[in-house]
Amino acid sequence: MFATSIGRLRRDPAVSTAVVVLWLLLALFVLYPLGALLGRVLFDNGVFTVSGIVKVLSDKHQQRAFWNSLLLALLVGIGGTLIGFLFAFTAARGRLPRALLNVIDVAVLLPLVSPPFTTAIAMIFSFGPRGLITYDLLGLKGVTVYGLTSTMSSEILTYFPIAYLTLRPLLAGIDSNIEGMAQSLGASRWRVFRTVTLPLCVPGLANAFLLLFAASLADFATPLILAGNQFPVLPTEAYLQITGLFDLRGGAVLSFALLVPALIVFLLQRYWVSRRFYVTVTGKGAGQTPFDSMTETVRRSLLASCALVTIVILYFYALLLYASLVVALGANHALTLQHYKVIFTEGLRVISDTLIIAGFAMPLGGLYGVLLGYLVTRKKILGARSMELVSMVNYALPGTIVGIAYLIAFNDPPIELTGTALIIIACYVFRYGPTGIRATVALLQQIDKSLEEASQGLGAGSGMTFRRVTLPLIVPAFFAGLGVVFIRSMTAISATIFLVSISWSLVTVKILENMTELSLGPAAAFSVVVVVIVFVVIALIGQVLRLLRAPGAARLSGMMGA
Amino acid sequence: MHCITRLSRRAARALTIVALAVAAPLAIAADTLNVYSIWPENWARPMFEEFEKATGIKVNFVRFSSGEALARVSAEKNNPRVDVLFGGPVETFAAGINEGLFEPYKSPSFAKLPARFKQPDGLWTAIADDPLVFMTNEKFLKENNLKPPASWDDLLAAPYKNMLQMADARTSGTAVTRIFSILEVNGRDENKAFAYMKKLRPNVQLYTKSGGGGTLPVGLGQAGGGIFFIVDALDTKAKGYDVAISFPKEGIGTAAEGIALLKGAKNPEQGKKLIDWATSAAMQSQFAKYKINFVPAHPDVAMEPSLAAVIKGAKIFPIDADYAGANRKRVVERWVAEVLNP
Repeated sequence: MFATSIGRLRRDPAVSTAVVVLWLLLALFVLYPLGALLGRVLFDNGVFTVSGIVKVLSDKHQQRAFWNSLLLALLVGIGGTLIGFLFAFTAARGRLPRALLNVIDVAVLLPLVSPPFTTAIAMIFSFGPRGLITYDLLGLKGVTVYGLTSTMSSEILTYFPIAYLTLRPLLAGIDSNIEGMAQSLGASRWRVFRTVTLPLCVPGLANAFLLLFAASLADFATPLILAGNQFPVLPTEAYLQITGLFDLRGGAVLSFALLVPALIVFLLQRYWVSRRFYVTVTGKGAGQTPFDSMTETVRRSLLASCALVTIVILYFYALLLYASLVVALGANHALTLQHYKVIFTEGLRVISDTLIIAGFAMPLGGLYGVLLGYLVTRKKILGARSMELVSMVNYALPGTIVGIAYLIAFNDPPIELTGTALIIIACYVFRYGPTGIRATVALLQQIDKSLEEASQGLGAGSGMTFRRVTLPLIVPAFFAGLGVVFIRSMTAISATIFLVSISWSLVTVKILENMTELSLGPAAAFSVVVVVIVFVVIALIGQVLRLLRAPGAARLSGMMGA
Repeated sequence: MHCITRLSRRAARALTIVALAVAAPLAIAADTLNVYSIWPENWARPMFEEFEKATGIKVNFVRFSSGEALARVSAEKNNPRVDVLFGGPVETFAAGINEGLFEPYKSPSFAKLPARFKQPDGLWTAIADDPLVFMTNEKFLKENNLKPPASWDDLLAAPYKNMLQMADARTSGTAVTRIFSILEVNGRDENKAFAYMKKLRPNVQLYTKSGGGGTLPVGLGQAGGGIFFIVDALDTKAKGYDVAISFPKEGIGTAAEGIALLKGAKNPEQGKKLIDWATSAAMQSQFAKYKINFVPAHPDVAMEPSLAAVIKGAKIFPIDADYAGANRKRVVERWVAEVLNP
């Protein structure tokens, strides 16, 4: 069986073409920029040198920042996965009314759409020494908002939706008959959850943790504002090394140091997940009887926890909306539409630039995620593991470094891309595509190979099998990946600040610009517009899917809040 | 199904057309100039529009913070994308000289400028001057029965405990100017200056990454006050935040803002014209019209009256470039070791 499938794959032109193309793209957009950057780091005017590297790595302060980053990433990974699972489980099994599900879906998408800096500012405004909540409401004095707690909370709120997006389709995909059987064999609901449902979610949980861990490890914007002086973290230090001390070499070294823990977590989760078997979609299943996972009390308490998180999120966005409608938050609370007028005059160009770029990055990113995820899990291709690993690199590195690496690599011939939209699109696809890859990998680990083997046994080529059998099964992962790429294209800044040019600029750069000009109003208004655009686009995707009656559309449209 | 394929084919054709546009770099027209501006857009834009009016040269620009602009220019140095680096503290330009990024050029105003407003070889020239100030939140002052601080020692008062924000010396030129101001008012006695900074430390809630990072928290009242450049402070006030601006009687330092031509610039002639214009009275006399609160660097330009009123009576001194250049690295390292992480 094994030998024949290898033999067939060798002859399969579709697979080998896809593999070659993917490797070429990875080489061009991941390995080549990194190599170019390493060249800058290791060679000083043509002379090989490591003295700078040694100096940066032996610095006590930087070592502290390294361990702080690990601690933060670990906490964010655990906390975010837990909350993501809580939401996914409640949404998938809570038997919620449609309207409530919609509220949850909207609330979960909001933090993902949060443009940089705005939530951090809302946090300071609410929880600072004279914060709306800490001082005005609770009357607390001498509160310190800067540090681990606020950075962690802010990052968990921002990133848990990624966990939700990877876990929700997984939970929905678990054959409820299995749980039902366990129960009819006498297991209590709690026991079913502990010994059946939860273990089946392991690939999803592990992937969600990996994504969150790496995202936190690479995030510099949140700690930049919230970490304060007592809790330095490495991505922020790397950013400051470059932009503050004008030391590109040192900053790059610090960023590369972040790859080590990301790599270890990647290998650990790989090892952990590969030891077990998670298939629940076999093609043999008959009709599903819905399984009643929880008692009314549990249902209520789950719902209450979700409601609490949702309220916090909605509060932040209400504040953002309010800031966009007053003259100056904290100074003059007279209502005005002036900030929106600015957007629909001066801001139109950046909005259309951003939409064009996001419009290209979205399908490409979705396709890239599904294709790569599929190839490395399903096809016994050479170097599958290295391909998966390489694909994670741009995600796990701080954006600043990815941006500078792209700038160095693509500024000079032979491949001159600086100043084009292409360089930004490529950056988005290869930096945010991994969400789709992880979602695909997690979902495929749940689906029995025999489905595809049957198709191939009946004479379909691997291209056709992928299109007709696998793709419909992994459509949710495709759209999770595509959605994240689109959202990130609308909201990311760390890498792209180095890639925007005179011809192509982005909304987020405009928001940052407004923040530095102290124009909270326009910054907030831009953010609100971004949120609205993202929701409209996602609703449209859901609508299109429903019109096409694509399989999986129902699951997807629920997931994407449409 | 058929209609979908037809649709997708048509869509593919449309996409190809857009894709071509997306991949094409900007065409370079005859009389244009490309610039990275470190000044915020709301100041840079009117200046460049005035320049276009005066010379017919159109300026395309993007705005970056000083560190980001320098990182970009440095990464692009083999194939520069812009011709001029505009605005930003002189120390950014000093770092750029170390990287060999600039082309020397002396504008007609060069000879007229005092020594601290130019690099001797013409690698950069100053276009404005920016003194430091104390900025405090009025509500905070009232609640604590305080007057706006009028001496460095006023900032040591008990109500300021954990309520000041100022910039971090590792990443901000504002902070370096501040530390050298403290050294200067203490007669360059380093031990005395550091003793003061250590005493001030418990009052500092946060050392911000950028020079203006603390202005919004002070405006919002999350911090009581801080030390900022005057442009940032006056901007906070102009945005409607209720803040007081004051100066220490012992004196406070000031730093210049520069402009430079990039080595390998593709439009060097137009770039030189911008430098001629920006370093002359032609641009600097327009600051007032657009409410840009920099102090003009050119000796022929008078300060705008309302700005002059703020600064009136203040003791402002330039930071000695030789002294600062020779000691900067050591002083910042000492600051990190003794003040930031004691």
